Order: sequence, then structure tokens, then C-alpha cells
Amino acid sequence: MASKYLKSEQLPAFLESLAKNARVVAPFKRDGVTQYEPWQSGKDVELDVLLAKQSPKEYVFLQTETYLKFGYEMAPVPEGAEGEDAVPYETVKVDPQNEAPKQVIFGLRPCDVRGFVQMDQVFGGYGGFYFDPLYNARREATTLLAVTCREPRSTCFCTSVGGCPSSREGADVLFTQIEGGFFVEPITDKGEAIAEAAGAALTDPTDTQATEANEAKLASATKVDPAFDLEGVRDALHDNIADKRWADLAMRCVSCGTCTYVCPSCYCFSINDSIVETKGDRYRCWDNCFNPVYTEETSGHNPRAKKMNRFRNRFSHKFWYYPDKYDSLLCSGCGRCIANCPTRIDIREVIRVMGAPKEAPAASGAVAASAAAAAAVAAAADTTTEGKEA
Amino acid sequence: MADTTSGAAKKRLTFADVVPGASTAKAGKLAGNSYVPEIATVVEIIQETPTIKTFRMRFDDPAVMESFSFAPGQVGQLGVFGVGESTFAITSKPSEKEFIQFSVMRAGEVTQALHKLSVGDKVGIRAPMGCGFPMDAWKGKKILFVMGGIGSAALKATIEYCLEHRADYQGVNILYGATHPTNFTYQYDIDEWQKREDIDLTLTIDRECDGWQCDVGMVPAVLERMNPDPANTIAILCGPPIMIKFALISFMKLGFTPEQTYTTLEKRMKCGIGICGRCNVGPKYVCVDGPVFSMAELNELPDEL
Repeated sequence: MASKYLKSEQLPAFLESLAKNARVVAPFKRDGVTQYEPWQSGKDVELDVLLAKQSPKEYVFLQTETYLKFGYEMAPVPEGAEGEDAVPYETVKVDPQNEAPKQVIFGLRPCDVRGFVQMDQVFGGYGGFYFDPLYNARREATTLLAVTCREPRSTCFCTSVGGCPSSREGADVLFTQIEGGFFVEPITDKGEAIAEAAGAALTDPTDTQATEANEAKLASATKVDPAFDLEGVRDALHDNIADKRWADLAMRCVSCGTCTYVCPSCYCFSINDSIVETKGDRYRCWDNCFNPVYTEETSGHNPRAKKMNRFRNRFSHKFWYYPDKYDSLLCSGCGRCIANCPTRIDIREVIRVMGAPKEAPAASGAVAASAAAAAAVAAAADTTTEGKEA
Repeated sequence: MADTTSGAAKKRLTFADVVPGASTAKAGKLAGNSYVPEIATVVEIIQETPTIKTFRMRFDDPAVMESFSFAPGQVGQLGVFGVGESTFAITSKPSEKEFIQFSVMRAGEVTQALHKLSVGDKVGIRAPMGCGFPMDAWKGKKILFVMGGIGSAALKATIEYCLEHRADYQGVNILYGATHPTNFTYQYDIDEWQKREDIDLTLTIDRECDGWQCDVGMVPAVLERMNPDPANTIAILCGPPIMIKFALISFMKLGFTPEQTYTTLEKRMKCGIGICGRCNVGPKYVCVDGPVFSMAELNELPDEL
């Protein structure tokens, strides 16, 4: 489908039309904090704040998700049973849960979308691993309407990890803010269905509007500073595994795990049971690899008892372990972990130091900003047709 | 790394791509919902030592019981509803069709709940998980089992497999150590093994004890006294971390290479299917890439065992 134009005044009507068939989730500002929340008529979507406090990953990968309900009960004694067969006994009934309501997430940024794309590999059976029915049910019921970033923050580094503020990767529709409204590009079949359903709210854009959208994309990409050179990072992390600078970098970490909760691609979880009398739930919930008990075994033995080991594990997971398994990265460059770290640990600094080849000095920003930005926009444009098959 | 810089999206699998019942997993569990345990009933409980019980369970669904099979070295998640699940080695004979067996040392919440079970109680089982030992590739070799304490549980199925296929292996040699004579698991099997002439069995306890007929000494020291010939031999090692640490040093002294020395790891696990991210050692997940590893493989990983 061809690109469209949506007037700013039409946005509430557009969301209203989406809400007829699905739950609509969008960023809203409340008490100074922007968060993704279910949209309701009359609520104003917050697009001026670049990144919500958290990515909308919690709408697909729930913070707490009960996947099994169980209950102990007495088995009925068969009629006419005698002797041992007539003794009632306790049994257990299980009831798997996997509800996935249709939903549309509007207003997420390309890095947030990429967080989903990266989690897709883990939960989606990529490389012959298990296909996770819980995540995928929600993922398939979800449509992602991304919005190009206008004013990237100083903590943004999407272009250093192969992304871009106007990336179409994984998005169903890309919205780009221009004079008076949005330039709307449906990318996937799901996205086209949304655009079609919107009907008259979307109009055909003028050539000027198309040009304006392109310029806006290029402009935003130039505002993302190159953070590090990705080439060779994986091998360097491998070679630097025993390097004592890991301990120096980890020193000011307080193991709070904020970075893992705000990360759009951190996916580690725990599984627990809760039970009241005879009925209970088995649920999975987000976990935090910085917590010392994360790996602590019953015997008291803990493979990652030291903070340095946990610290090294998280960064190595994102740039070495995950790439080895899934041929991709587990970081989309949103910079939330930098902005929210209470001790200002900067993932870019960690990768610049530990991701640099052993003998060489730390990598400098060798790539000119404008060239990198232009290349990123060009790469994003290339994915236009790829998205179709989704 | 070339792929990671391109940012190109990999095609995402959907429900349509996953044939119901077909295996999408490396480790061999069926597709569908791998988080949902099969209900099983405890049919027999054996008190092995003061802290270890062996549980024999039968799946309530006869079809599941019938189709259940596993490779020696594979593990399973055994759980009590309302308390949780933990990972244990499957200790039944791989050919056993009547029940599935786990040996459990009382230690934490789940194991304490398991120890309170009676015959007839219900449990949840997700099994098998992980990769077993490459038994086919080892045909014609001598297999040396070195185990301490509850480490015997991890190797029980493999020993049984070797004994059932005894002709396939040139030799079966077992060194088993415990702190005290009462702490040997599978005493009934040990009695049988001692009678057999085709098994070379060495038992040892840490300190002298009245009435004890066999060796005395820590496993690594006894191993060095045994002085096994590394030629055409596979060594499989399992026990407490401190035993493994020193037994490995002994193995290297005896001329064993990391390629012929195997162990089976345990980690705190949750999902057991390579997703939740908890049991990683570097880029390897113990639950799907392991729990069986050669020392050569482990030497490549970060020192986080």
C-alpha cells in the first residue's frame, strides 16, 4: 500500500477506530512520567518525550504471567467400588493459560520495535530452539505502529548497533512527524490492514510531504552520535574475558538491576508457584541477572557470586553469547540503561573498553557522524520489501 | 559478526510454521506447550541414605508413559504443585517402561516438599531435557565412572545403560566415594555390581569406619592409586564441586586429555528449554547444550561453573 498522511487532529479519531477491534496501547504522561498505558478516549498521546520510562515490552512479555492454574481435589470414588478402590484419594488438575487479546501498540520508537525483533529470536524457536507458545501468542496478536524519533537524546546510540531513528525493521507501520501531522508508511500486511480500516482518517500525501518526511528521517539520524565500532566487539569480549578492567568497570554497580527492567530486549525470567489452600498459580516473571540469588544454588554454591561476574555476564550476553546463538545483537541502542542507572554506568563505555581488541587502544569515534547516519537511513530503506513477508 | 551489523530481520517463526506435535527442539521435547508438566503418580519411594530418597513415578496418561524415552545423561524437571520445580537427573534405566525415577537429596524447598510425598501423591514432570552422553560414539571404549555422594544419581542411568549394552564397551570401571558407609545410594545395585565379574567396582569412604572392607580416602587420591590407563578410555565425573576440582587435577596427572574427560553440570534452572536465560555458562545453556560437557568444551567457557 502506498504511503498516507494523517493530520494531527485526526490522531484521536484514528486511535478510536483502532480501539474498536483491539486494545490500543500508547505512551501517556502522568505525574511527569511517560509510560505505555491502554488508551482511552480523551487521553492525549505523549510523543514529545522521546522514550517512555520503559519500553512496551511488558505488553507482549508480561512482567508476571500465570501460565498454569492448578488445584488439588479429591478424586471421585467410582460407583460400586469396594475395598482399596473405594478409598478416596487426592489428585491434581492443571489448566494451562494462554490468553492473547488483540492489541495495537502506537508510538513506540524503532529501538523499542527492535527489542521485540531481538526477543523474537529467543522465544520464536530460531536456530532449532523451543518455540514459546506464551510469548508468540501475544506477539502474533500485536501490531506495532512505530514513530520516527525527532530529537534523539544524548544517550541514544541505535546507529552504532545497526539501527536508525526511522528504522522500519519489525514495525507494521512507520509514522514520521511532519508539518501538521504524520507521514504514514504501512510496511506489513498487518500494517496495511490497519491503514485500510482507518479509512478517511488517512489521506494521500503530497510530494512535498514525502520529501519532508525523508528530510526529517535524515536529520534525526545525524543527531545520533556514533558510540563505538561494532566490528570485532564479539571477538574482543571473548578475548578480554579474564581482563581485570571488568572489575574496574563493575566497581560502581550496585546490582539494582534497573538496566534489565528498562531494557527493551532483556528477557530473562523466573518461574514460581503460589498457592492458597488447594488452588494455585504457576507463573513466570521478569528476573534480574544482577541479583546474586539469580544463580545461587541450593547447596550455597553460586557460579556468579561476584558482582564482576554478573556485570560481565550481562554485557557479554548482549554482544557475544546471544549473537553466537541467534546471529544478531541483544541491544537496540535505546540508551535507557544509561539514562536510568543510579551510578551512571554507560554501556557504550563498557563496549568501548571491553569490546576493543586486546592490544589496541580504545576505539575512537572513527566513523564520521553524517556518513554513518546516511548509511543507516539507506539501510533502513532497504528493508522496505523485506517487511512484507511478515 | 557480519550479520549483526546489517540489522537485517530474521524471519520470525509463527504458530503456522510450527507443526503441532513436531519437534522444534534440539533437545527433543515435542512442540506445543513445553511449560506444562505431565501429571504423574508416585508409585514407590526408596530411602537411599538419611538425606536421599529415590522416587518412582508413573505418568497418569498411559500414552505418555508408553512413549517416554530418554538418553543416558538427560535430566527432567520434577515439581510439586504449589512449591515449584527443580531439575534432577533421570535415574531409571533407559529401557525402563513402567516408571520414571529420580533420586532427590533433601536440601531446599522443592526437595523438602518431595521428601514429604507418599506413594499415590501427584507430581508434575517435564522430561526429558538436555543432551545425553554420546554413548554410540563411545562403543568399543572403556568407560570409567568417577562419582561422589549424590553425583551417583547423575550417572546412574548411564551406568545402567553400559551394563545393559555391556558387550558394546570394552570395560566398565566405577569408582564411587561417600563420606560414610551409610551414604552410598543404590546399595541394592552395588551388591549386584560387586557380584558381577564384568564390572570393576571400587568403593571408598573419606575416613576409617568400623566394619568397612573397601578403600578409605578421598576420591582423587584413590583415583591416583588406581592409576587407570587413559588409552581408549572415557572418564565420566560427577560429584560435589570440590571433588570435581581435585579429581580433574588427578585425571590430568594420569594423562587423561580434556577431550576424553566428561562431566555433567547442574545449575539453578527454571524453564529447562533454553529460554529463561538462567543456567548459562557463557554462550552455553546447561539445559539444552548440556548438562553433559567434555572438559575440552568447558575449558572454552568463562570460569563460572
